[in-house]
Amino acid sequence: MKQFVVIGLGRFGSSIARALSEKNFEVLAIDRSEERIKEIGGTVSQAVVVDATDEKALKELGIKEFDTAIVSIGENIEDSIMVTLLLKELGVRQVIVKAHNELHAKILSKVGADKIIFPEKEMAEKLAESLASPKIFDYIELSTEYGILEIVAPKKFCDKTLGELKLREKYGISVMAIKRKMPYTRPDGSPDFKEEIIIGPGGADEILQGDILVILGRYKDLNRIEKL
Amino acid sequence: MNDDFQDLLEISEFYILSQKYEEAIKTLKKAQKINNREPKLYYNLGIAYEALNDRDKAINAFRQALSLDPNFQSAREHLDRLIKG
Repeated sequence: MKQFVVIGLGRFGSSIARALSEKNFEVLAIDRSEERIKEIGGTVSQAVVVDATDEKALKELGIKEFDTAIVSIGENIEDSIMVTLLLKELGVRQVIVKAHNELHAKILSKVGADKIIFPEKEMAEKLAESLASPKIFDYIELSTEYGILEIVAPKKFCDKTLGELKLREKYGISVMAIKRKMPYTRPDGSPDFKEEIIIGPGGADEILQGDILVILGRYKDLNRIEKL
Repeated sequence: MNDDFQDLLEISEFYILSQKYEEAIKTLKKAQKINNREPKLYYNLGIAYEALNDRDKAINAFRQALSLDPNFQSAREHLDRLIKG
């Protein structure tokens, strides 16, 4: 079983720690703030208040036994560099570090970071890509892992009920609402439509041509839906 | 000939009311081959495209309806809404 240490429990760090725990990995979560440690407490294998720039403290925690360290230290670039250096010196096999800018990334790679990530930038690029698609109406980021997507119902979903589609089982997504254009005849005899919204649709609700689905799911699952 | 056109127009309306917009578009394309000067044809096309969230095609269709009948009020309303939206 792989073991992870997550250093820095801001929004990104805590999401990663929780996600790894959900996948049943052993996770040690570290932060300087007692409050953050209390918050994540029960959800990971171990959570401790430690200053990660303190080499002695890291040694005492047996850091070198961990396969992967994820460094997600807030705004303090200096600390993030220092911790990366310490982790490599202590012998952690893989050190993944969140970078704030290109310069920070360059220094991180010089001190031995194995992988450098820009979650905000990557998220922004993904969002831009999605917004450029004519099928996508809106994209809301809920966390680093989950989002809400408003999308034209893929053709293969049309004329089937949610019960038949089993979207949660097959795609890992939940349909929170359906926006539908309900047709009617105008007094002059011509067709027209009114927009309606079905909140919390059930298994018997059918998806029709032109429906817009408001779906909740992990980004990777939402991306799969976009590609249908 | 014109009866066929009227029938197709009515069938397209039936499809729109049944939320079968793709079928409505297919029917309207057939009708267009018989008569391409009828504003209602383009209005119905616009409605079907708008219902399918195909904004660009809907705008084109409503514009065409208005170019044939500048007083076509409901086509004007849809076009204005799509352009503003």
